Amino acid sequence: MTAIVWELEWRIAFARRRLFVLNIVVPLLLVLPVALGAAPAVHAAAVYVVLFAIFSTFGSAIPLVRDGESGLSGRVLRAGVEPASYFLQRTAAGAVLDLLQLGPALAVAALGAGAGPRAFFVALVALAATVWVANLVGVLVAAATRSLAEAALFSAVSTLLLLHASGVFRTPLPGSFGAAFESVAPFRALHEALLAMSMMTPVGGGTALGIWCFVMAVATGILAGRLSGSLGGSGRA
Amino acid sequence: MSAPDAGSDDDPDAHRGVDLGTDPGADPDPMVRAVAVSYRYDSGDPALDDVDLEGRPGEIVALVGPNGAGKSTLLRLLAGDLVPDAGELHLPSRRGAKGRVAMGYAGEEACHFESLSGTHNAVFFARAAGLGREEAEQAVREQFDRLGLAEDAPRPVSTYSFGARRKLLLVEALAHRPTLTLLDEPFVGLDLDSREALADLLRERSAEGGTVMIASHDLDLLPQLADRIVFLHDARVVAGGSPDELLSSMPDVARFEFTLDGEFAGAELVLGEGMILVNSGDTVVLESERGQAALPEACFALVVAGARIRSVVVRDAGLAAVFRSVTGAELDV
Repeated sequence: MTAIVWELEWRIAFARRRLFVLNIVVPLLLVLPVALGAAPAVHAAAVYVVLFAIFSTFGSAIPLVRDGESGLSGRVLRAGVEPASYFLQRTAAGAVLDLLQLGPALAVAALGAGAGPRAFFVALVALAATVWVANLVGVLVAAATRSLAEAALFSAVSTLLLLHASGVFRTPLPGSFGAAFESVAPFRALHEALLAMSMMTPVGGGTALGIWCFVMAVATGILAGRLSGSLGGSGRA
Repeated sequence: MSAPDAGSDDDPDAHRGVDLGTDPGADPDPMVRAVAVSYRYDSGDPALDDVDLEGRPGEIVALVGPNGAGKSTLLRLLAGDLVPDAGELHLPSRRGAKGRVAMGYAGEEACHFESLSGTHNAVFFARAAGLGREEAEQAVREQFDRLGLAEDAPRPVSTYSFGARRKLLLVEALAHRPTLTLLDEPFVGLDLDSREALADLLRERSAEGGTVMIASHDLDLLPQLADRIVFLHDARVVAGGSPDELLSSMPDVARFEFTLDGEFAGAELVLGEGMILVNSGDTVVLESERGQAALPEACFALVVAGARIRSVVVRDAGLAAVFRSVTGAELDV
């Protein structure tokens, strides 16, 4: 199977130019006042990472649920695309598009924080890996939901929980379970990379994020058959 | 009056052992086969109840029945979209020669990638089914030409009419030349030329050894197109056979189609024994079990009831009459 789903996603993205541009402009507008408003670095980093993570999770889950409801995903899978290939190609395209669309917002955040090129590059790499994981979370969320409203709710809840576990909203007590989980939480690396843009603090969690990228992709591939059952519109009449 | 292979309402197993949806003696190796398949909706109502059906290579099988009879559900089961609650389905391997997907399915849902052109949609589905890019583009171009969709091809699907969407759905199902073609109401929304073009495409699929199964209400076209017609009623297969077998089972039935001046409700119409009113309105359709000899009586009854006849067409019994004789119910076409 060639990368026809990947190709399809790009075609759709560029055919819907208005949406593509909106997805660049809206994050920019949300980031601008924070970046230009001299917000404390801790608060600014929290706003950015929440925005980037939710943007990606929603952006993955909502269209999947919509295509499942309309029967389009079912048609694609019935036409011959293997479920694992469908979900992974679609997620890969979604993650790269998210990176392109969030990149300008990240650049503005970096400018506002006075970050150097190296700090920006580290944040960009962390963003790339994070949107990949967030897109895969979106796939799993979509599979667990039965409507667009549920998908929106579950996306928000699951992403906020992972952000909380990643230490975005509070610093866990050293030696606690929260601290242990934070060290392997998926959004920690991006959060710390965003902090590092202005505070020059060390960035941890990179290895954990890399493992998340791999494990989530493998899990999606393994569960693809089951995911296609709930997202492919097949099952009962 | 008798109809071939008709089951009885009183005896749900009356159809066993006779040719209904299956014809065991004709070919030992059907392409697709359903054995005692049952399926219930989430509500618990039966969609299919103990259905036997088979489609052989080179055969066009038409599923005919009123809305809710189970035609679409049966096609979805064969397409692998649903899983039967009971019974067995024997389907061809998912991929056939050259790794191509063996099945082509066009269901009720005409959903597409709305922002993309018809060409991009159809080429995507053809490539998903295993065709290379150039091969897919060529196959899609050819089918667009034949179904009269070439002018619409470069436009986004969001601008398509209902008919154009239906044609695109058919191209997506047929472009890879499937060995098992399952089409749900394929003639709906098509103009006359496109209907003929589609019928030719289906005959080609059949001539190349493919099995074609269609659910359709197009009773005028089916006798010319289908090798076998299977009647479904109340979730069961109630009769089946070749169009000739079915139609010749009612040699004495004649159908009179009257074109009238103005509307005619039919309330005042008094008909003799063995004659029934099938349709009223601009065109009044009467059917008689006494053949063409009943034509004067039919004309007289209409004139007495106040109708003004402009013309009349006399036909042999149609599939609707055969269905009525088997089930006692009307086909809502």
